[in-house]
Amino acid sequence: MHKVEFKQLDETLYHEKLDNGLEVFILPKKGFSKTFATFTTKYGSIDNHFVPRGEKEAIKVPDGIAHFLEHKMFEKEEGDIFQQFSKQGASANAFTSFTRTAYLFSATGQLNENIETLLDFVQEPYFTESTVEKEKGIIAQEITMYDDQPDWRLYFGIIENMYKNHPVKIDIAGTVESIQDITAEHLYTCYNTFYHPSNMVLFVVGAVDPEAMMKLVKENQSRKTFEDAHEIERIFPDEPVETAVKERVLTMSVQKPKVFVGIKPEKMDMQGSEMLKHELAAELAFELLFGRTSDFYHNAYEKNWIDESYSFDYSLENGFGYAIIGSDTAEPQILADEIKHTIANAVEKWPFGQADLDRMRRKKIGFFLRALNSPEYIANQFTRYTFNGMNLFEVVPVLEEIEVTDLQQAFALVSAESQQSVFTIEPPAKKEAE
Amino acid sequence: MFETIRLAKGVNVHVNETTQFKTINISIKFKDKLSKEKASARSILANVLQHSNEAYPSHTALRMVLDDLYGTSLYMDSSKRGNEHIVSLNVETVNDQYLSESGVLEKVLNLMYLVLFKPNLEHDLFKETIFQREKNAVKERIESLIDDKTRYAQQRMMDLALPDHPASIPATGTIEEVEAISNEKLMEEYRTMIESNEVEIYAVGDVKPETIAAYIRDYFHFTDREKPLAAPSMELKKPAQQRVAEFEDMKQGKLHMTFFSPVTFRDEKFPVMQLFNGIFGGYAHSKLFVNIREKESMAYYVSSSYSSQFGLMFVLAGIDGKLEEKAVKLILQQLEEIKAGNITDVEFGQTKALLTNQLTEALDSARGQIDIYDQYMELDEGFEPDYLISRWNKVTKEDIAQAAQDLSLEMTYFLSGKESEINA
Repeated sequence: MHKVEFKQLDETLYHEKLDNGLEVFILPKKGFSKTFATFTTKYGSIDNHFVPRGEKEAIKVPDGIAHFLEHKMFEKEEGDIFQQFSKQGASANAFTSFTRTAYLFSATGQLNENIETLLDFVQEPYFTESTVEKEKGIIAQEITMYDDQPDWRLYFGIIENMYKNHPVKIDIAGTVESIQDITAEHLYTCYNTFYHPSNMVLFVVGAVDPEAMMKLVKENQSRKTFEDAHEIERIFPDEPVETAVKERVLTMSVQKPKVFVGIKPEKMDMQGSEMLKHELAAELAFELLFGRTSDFYHNAYEKNWIDESYSFDYSLENGFGYAIIGSDTAEPQILADEIKHTIANAVEKWPFGQADLDRMRRKKIGFFLRALNSPEYIANQFTRYTFNGMNLFEVVPVLEEIEVTDLQQAFALVSAESQQSVFTIEPPAKKEAE
Repeated sequence: MFETIRLAKGVNVHVNETTQFKTINISIKFKDKLSKEKASARSILANVLQHSNEAYPSHTALRMVLDDLYGTSLYMDSSKRGNEHIVSLNVETVNDQYLSESGVLEKVLNLMYLVLFKPNLEHDLFKETIFQREKNAVKERIESLIDDKTRYAQQRMMDLALPDHPASIPATGTIEEVEAISNEKLMEEYRTMIESNEVEIYAVGDVKPETIAAYIRDYFHFTDREKPLAAPSMELKKPAQQRVAEFEDMKQGKLHMTFFSPVTFRDEKFPVMQLFNGIFGGYAHSKLFVNIREKESMAYYVSSSYSSQFGLMFVLAGIDGKLEEKAVKLILQQLEEIKAGNITDVEFGQTKALLTNQLTEALDSARGQIDIYDQYMELDEGFEPDYLISRWNKVTKEDIAQAAQDLSLEMTYFLSGKESEINA
């Protein structure tokens, strides 16, 4: 077992890669009563075209299948796994994102039993045609619930605008129609391909004894047999740098129009330290341009173009990414134009110097230290970083190295007009009095 | 866990000195009676005070100094509990032992002082442009409620079931009352808040109780104050209608039900109701989840929640617009099961285990510690996790069946798409 101390952060991380390929990380937190554990596979909604384990030809699977599989993992022949966690005093849950499926629990007691339950239920699939059919009604209601949420529609609307071919444009849960095609056989195919331990990470954080926990996990894993690890062949379509749709409007029942400007990064194949530096530098650049101390924010707020719903975000994965900026607004056109002008002006003449960078760097370091109070943040983010070849605990040292020119370079990759798109949700036009 | 130091009559500092967290959290809570007018005025006030102040007269200036203090988070919010309205100033700052700089805490406390005591004024009123802008922001926040159909449906049901009751008054206030508030009225509310509200100050982190108390005593000018006498009544009156259906442009149907219970937070039967809620619909092992979601595949979410301040029990479910009748029938069937005492040992044990886990787990966050302590402080026995857990262990299945029998269904509210209206 490797032990890595992060002296500045007062944290010690324990790590081991098991013989079956599973990466196990353990982070004890002093003073905590609870333990939070995540068991995550590098498999999300974008992995819909791949060569199944043991076969030669690539296949395409129905939209929403990774999320469907996540739901079905909880049902076993002997019943629902939630029941087991409840008996052991643990709150369990799971989520599916574009790139990951995570199973998790938090508990303040019976840690060993809960860890065994977590490992066992994810490693013992049980799918039948009738249980698959039964789940369709539940997931259809979940999809319908999201369909009624304008902020979710806005988020997906801008991603759909940006991407022409990449499966990131497909809703994570699929559609009520697409899930009807899912069969138990599909689920086994996806499971066998993506749930091999070598494609997974276990992260345990909180009130945990690292030696005893590692021993428990190893013993659990050595009781099971797995096929050999193999390289998963995932197929992604070519994606142009330009956005697929420049502007689109959706009419929906909302109080006020909503608008998002999206910008697609020029380079989407970064991993490891290159990705970490780029991501942090781009985040700092967007914080300076669009954050709460920016000229843009001040002007837009005073003029009433943005309200408390205003947000901006930069997100990057292997193969796709996006910056998104927007708000509920009575003036979607003006706001979108203003966001685009702000970007164009910064491209023409970079407005920030050393003092600006230093301030944002302090803000970001503070945010990171705050986040380290949260076992949930640590486990989820650490896993995401690991799947992208990065280390979460290098955030502070890398932040300290970043220079103004890094911000400019990062921003240059996420700014061109051709990479931008605008998506607006508008309330239906008011009918004339009859 | 918390050490309490009294600064003046009605003004207390509670500090939990701990190295569990890498940050220091401080909250200053101002408590007043709840009314629509107060909630509306105090929501604007929270926005105006956190916008800027005399020393940092623009939003940008204030936010820049916070960034410089290692991204210290500072915000104000308005909330309610029972018939009290609470305005909080919340701050979280990095413990400077992790930084190359010291004296951060003192600077942060000074900022809190400026936010509360040195507002951004002109002619003895709040700066008019800021007042107007923030008043508008609060109004827009209330208006945007309808974009979140679950929260909207719940608020509609409360407005219809218990109009003008503290349970239905939103912590943010109402559009009508927000519109009616003048700058003069806001200044009056500000004076009341600073001079006569009950003040509870919390700090959690690696800080000495005396340090925080001394700073606040020396720099903040909190004088003696009395608890407000005539708090609004929380008596539950039977709603005028038992079933209401409304329609919006939407796909899913939102079923919301209100039950009255004679048991509240202050009642000795409070632990019985917590257990009842866990068995009925609070968790993924509960009867509602197992039967309506897992067995019938009718819903993605279906749950119950217990509003202990008022003695209200709610059931919420997202279902197909045509299935209201079936869902209500199934939900009431689950309640009948509990009334008849059909509770398994497994359900009973699971619920106690999860309540215990939830309570213990909440103490692993500084905000959780503050919220729980602030709520339990009013009870004579105060806040003792072991004591609370022991109370759950004394509850019997018969107690739970009795609590279920004492519930009365008072309103069923259904919000669904216009399509279901046509087909109905």
